[in-house]
Amino acid sequence: MTAARFDELIHPSTRLSIVALLAAADWVDFAFVRDQLGLSDSALSKQLSTLEQAGYVHIERPVSDHRRRVQARLTPEGRAAFNGHVAALRAIVGSAESELLGGA
Amino acid sequence: MERNVTPLEARAALDTVERGRLRIIEEIDLPAWYWWGLALGWIALGFITDLQHAWLTAGATLLFGAVHASVAPRVIDGRRRSRHLRVSADVAGHHIARLVLGGIIALAVVTIAVSLAVNADGAGHPVTIASCFVAVIIVLGGPQLLATVRRRARAASA
Repeated sequence: MTAARFDELIHPSTRLSIVALLAAADWVDFAFVRDQLGLSDSALSKQLSTLEQAGYVHIERPVSDHRRRVQARLTPEGRAAFNGHVAALRAIVGSAESELLGGA
Repeated sequence: MERNVTPLEARAALDTVERGRLRIIEEIDLPAWYWWGLALGWIALGFITDLQHAWLTAGATLLFGAVHASVAPRVIDGRRRSRHLRVSADVAGHHIARLVLGGIIALAVVTIAVSLAVNADGAGHPVTIASCFVAVIIVLGGPQLLATVRRRARAASA
């Protein structure tokens, strides 16, 4: 079971959306994330840089069909942080529901 | 532990996480060319079998198996429909390859059964006819099979 650990770096909505996509995949193309989330190239680059600097995301630039692509993947640290963050969010929701039921 | 995050905020964040997972689940599939290739190969194999040259049939079957064995491992897990991402094994599940291969074995049995029935009816080229019938099942049923997998993944995610 993952230990709940709220992560301030992941929590902002845009970054959480990016990490949620990456968490469900082994790797994802930059263009796919950009299109799915409706972000500009620069906005996504900025968010990925932040995540990369934190060691949560690894960026690769493989060449295929003579085109340079950008792929992002969560590092094991990033995955652990994401799982911990989700567990923390569930704990917040769970405790609120318990209080509600206890007070009913 | 966490800054002042309200339960409503936490719920909204969990919804964001869920939406991300659902977007990736939509990518679980096999490329269309796999189903068309399998169907065309099936018909070709049926046609060759109807020629009734044992060595030719054996050779074609081996070739079909070899081509499938070289292509299938790259796509049959349902995680690489597009070149934009690879779905994680946790999300796609580990059973897609078994489902597809099980389906192929079942369709081989169907091909034999339909061939025997068509042959008993006196029609010419029974295996070709049976293969065409099965090819239609492959092209129409294959994507449906993966749609069911996605539906189950969505349900498991909810």
